[in-house]
Amino acid sequence: MLSLAKQLIKQLFKKPETNPFPSKRVPKSVIKFMKKVKKGEAKINEPVKTPPRFRGRLIYYEDKCIRCKQCIRVCPANALEFDEKNNVIKHYVSRCTFCGQCVDICPVKALEQSNEFLLADYNKNAGFLEPKEKEVEKG
Amino acid sequence: MGLDALKKSLWVFHLNTGSCNGCDIEIIAALTPRYDVERFGIKLVGTPRHADVLLITGPVTRKMKKRLLRVYEQVPEPKVVVVVGNCGSTGGVFYESYNLVGPVDKLIPVDVYVPGCPPRPEAIIAGIAKAWEKLERMREKNER
Repeated sequence: MLSLAKQLIKQLFKKPETNPFPSKRVPKSVIKFMKKVKKGEAKINEPVKTPPRFRGRLIYYEDKCIRCKQCIRVCPANALEFDEKNNVIKHYVSRCTFCGQCVDICPVKALEQSNEFLLADYNKNAGFLEPKEKEVEKG
Repeated sequence: MGLDALKKSLWVFHLNTGSCNGCDIEIIAALTPRYDVERFGIKLVGTPRHADVLLITGPVTRKMKKRLLRVYEQVPEPKVVVVVGNCGSTGGVFYESYNLVGPVDKLIPVDVYVPGCPPRPEAIIAGIAKAWEKLERMREKNER
């Protein structure tokens, strides 16, 4: 009986386990809510923390890259492509399996995986890793 | 009725067109108390005739093509199609397989893509939020 009462009181003051990711409830207008978020009036709740060594979207350091193209050869989904024109690697996010083989094989650590994973978009080529503006300035 | 019918709870029908079950499990995970999409009124329904959103996982196999088209036609207008996972959006690792009839967008119009292999439950929720935004914009256009 005592343990029951203990448990009951504990449950009364416990917070829900649910992570209220974008917002706790549906806002009346999603567009207005997003505008407010941009202004800083409203806040989006953080998603659940990713585990260590999480394999998310690729980060590419073009100044480190030696253009050996080993990552292209090792990719099982053919998500990486060499852009001859700009002399850089292109990465299709919507084909990548996030296996991390390109990161492992890279001899100069020019590729790295971030923990960014909220990649949903209307366009399937939106997550496409394009050459940075810096490269354009050089050429 | 028109687009006003989609102002609140979106009911979702989930269709597996040859996926490996990774994405399907993540969709189910989004319904668990940890992420709990039912607080938005989103719920999985048993038939496409009750659904507002069609959630598709997997590259489309040859056998599944006919069924996919049929299910798509069964969902009442206005509808939103969301592709979960890389298989559905580009073919993923199966891109050059002989028994696929191409990614989903070759067969039916797709509104939102959720990349990931599989995407985390939150990525799926963010995708649904994008679909919501699109619906709202469509509604605003209709009102004008």
